[in-house]
Amino acid sequence: MNEGRIGIAGGTVMLALLLLAGAAVPLLSEFQPNELVAIPFQPPSRDYWFGTDQLGRDVFTRVFAAVYRDLGVAFLGVTIPLVLGTAIGILLSLATSRIVTALTGSLIDAINALPLLVLAIALIALFGPGLKSIVIVLAMTNWARYARIARTRASVVARMAYIEAARLQGYPWHRILLRHFVPNVSAETLAYALSDFILVIMLISGLSFLSLGAAPPTAEWGVMMSEGRPFVLNAWWMTIFPGIALCWAGIGLSFIAEGMSRRERGAGE
Amino acid sequence: MATDDQQAARGAFLRRSLGRLARATGVALWVMVIAFGLIRIAPGDPVIALLGAEAPPAAIEKMRRDLRLDVDPATQFVEYTWGMLHGRLGTSIETRRDVADIIAESLPVTLGIIAVTLVLALAMAVPLALLIATRRSPIVPYVFRATTSVMLAIPTFFTALIGLILFGLHWRIAPIIGYEPGFPGNLRFLWLPALVICTHLVPVLSRVLHASLVQTRGEEFVETGIIRGVSRLRFAWFYLLKPSLAPSIVLLSYMVGVMIGSTVIIETIFSLPGIGRSLVGAVINRDYPLVQGIVLVFGLFVVAVSLAGDLLANWLDPRVGAA
Repeated sequence: MNEGRIGIAGGTVMLALLLLAGAAVPLLSEFQPNELVAIPFQPPSRDYWFGTDQLGRDVFTRVFAAVYRDLGVAFLGVTIPLVLGTAIGILLSLATSRIVTALTGSLIDAINALPLLVLAIALIALFGPGLKSIVIVLAMTNWARYARIARTRASVVARMAYIEAARLQGYPWHRILLRHFVPNVSAETLAYALSDFILVIMLISGLSFLSLGAAPPTAEWGVMMSEGRPFVLNAWWMTIFPGIALCWAGIGLSFIAEGMSRRERGAGE
Repeated sequence: MATDDQQAARGAFLRRSLGRLARATGVALWVMVIAFGLIRIAPGDPVIALLGAEAPPAAIEKMRRDLRLDVDPATQFVEYTWGMLHGRLGTSIETRRDVADIIAESLPVTLGIIAVTLVLALAMAVPLALLIATRRSPIVPYVFRATTSVMLAIPTFFTALIGLILFGLHWRIAPIIGYEPGFPGNLRFLWLPALVICTHLVPVLSRVLHASLVQTRGEEFVETGIIRGVSRLRFAWFYLLKPSLAPSIVLLSYMVGVMIGSTVIIETIFSLPGIGRSLVGAVINRDYPLVQGIVLVFGLFVVAVSLAGDLLANWLDPRVGAA
C-alpha cells in the first residue's frame, strides 16, 4: 500500500518535471531546435549545456523540444488502440456464435503472436515512414492486446449478478453496456494502457532510430540518437542526452504503473 | 482405482494438448492470412508506390505480373499457400534472389542470438530469483522490484549503444562490427547483443520465477523437505525450483516473440547479418515479397514456440493447464 503510493508519487513527479521542462525550455531557450548556433561537436559547456550536434545545433534545446512530440504521439498511439480494443473486446464477448468466437479469438491471438515491432515495421513498408504512419500502424495492430483483455474481463462481468439485476429491471441494452460493461472492463484495459505507454514510447523512438519514424531534422529522441550514433565515441553527448530523456520518461511511467498495480493488489487482499 | 485416475489424468492431458494444437493451427492460419494480406491492404497501388507514378506502363505491368497481383485474390491466396507448402516464398525485388534462401541464410544468426540470450538469462535469473526468494528481509524484494522496473523502462537500443561505447570502443573487449558463422566462433560476436537483450529478459523472468517460488515455498511438501533435512542443493532443486518452473516456461515461450522484436534493432546496431536486419533493409527498399516472407517466418516461429512452451508446461505441471 505504502510502496504503491511512493511509486505513484515518484513517477508523477518525474513525469511532471519532464513535461514542465518540455514546455519551458523551448520558450526560454535563446535557440531554436533547428537553428545552427555554434561550431559542430562542441562538448557540454556553460553555453551549451548538452553540447552541440553534427550541424552545430543546441542539443539541450532539441532534447526538450522533443518531449511533447514523443509523448504526444505515444499518447495517441495508446489511446486509439485502447478505445478500439476495449469496444471490440466487449462486443465480441457478447457474440453467441461459436464460429465467430473461435475465428475472432484466433485472429486476435495471431496479431498478438507477431512481435509488435516486426508487424509495425512491415506495415510501415506500406504506409511509408513517419510519425503519422506509426499512429496508424499502432491503431491497426495494438487494439488486439486490449481486445483480448477486454473480452476476457467482459465475459466475467456478463455473469455478474448486477448485470442480471439490471436486465431484469428492464434497462435498455445500451445503458447496461455503458453503465456496467464499459466502466468495469476499462478499469482493466486502462491498467494495461499504462504499461503499454512505455512500450509505445520505445516503439516510436526505436522506429525513428531505424529511420522508419520521424525524419531528420525533426527534434525527436530516436532521430537524435540515430544521428549521434556514427559519432558516438567522439560526441557521446549527442546520443546519451536524448537517451536519458527517453529513459526518464519510461522510468517515470513504469513507477506509476508499478505503484498502481501494487495498490490494486493491496486493496484486493 | 489408481490406474483409473491415471488414465483419466492422461486423457485430460491429451485432450488439453490436442486443444492447444487446434488453437495453434487456427492462429498459424491467420498469421498466413496476415502475411498474405500485407501487400494487399496498402493504400493506393503498391506497384506504383514501388516504381513511381512516372514509370513506363510496361514496367508497371511486368511488376504486377511478377508479384502475381494481376489475378484475383482467391487464386493468389491458393498459389501463395501452395508455394509456401513447397518452401517457395517468392523472389526478392531488390536482389532477385529467392526469399526462402535469404531467410535460410540469416535465420541461424537470429536463432544464435536468441539461444545465447536464453542461456545467459537463465544463468542469471534462476540464481537471482532463488537468492531473493530465500531471503526473509523485507527490504530485498522492494529493491528487487524497483530495480527491475527501472531496467524494463530502459529501451534496449539505448543499452546497446552504451554497451557498444563501453565494451566495444572504450575497453575494446567486444567486436563492434562483423560476424563469423558457426559455433563457437560466433559467440565472440553474440555475447554482447545477448547481454543487452538480457537487460529486459532477466527482470521479467526473475520476477515470474520469484513469484512462483514464493508461492511454492508456502506449500506443505516444502515443509516436509525442511523437516526431513535434505541437503541445500537438493532442497533448492526438488522442493523449490522444479515445482515453480511451469509458469516461467510459459513466459519464456511468450518472451521469444518479444526477443525477436528486440533482435530487429539489436542486429541493426551490432551489424549482425540476421533476419531482423534483413527486415529493416527490406522495408527501406520496399521489398514486399521479402517483408512478407520474414513476417510469415517470424509469426509461425512464435506460434510454434509458444505451443511447445504450453505443452511442456502442461506436462511438467498439469495444474497449469487445468486453470
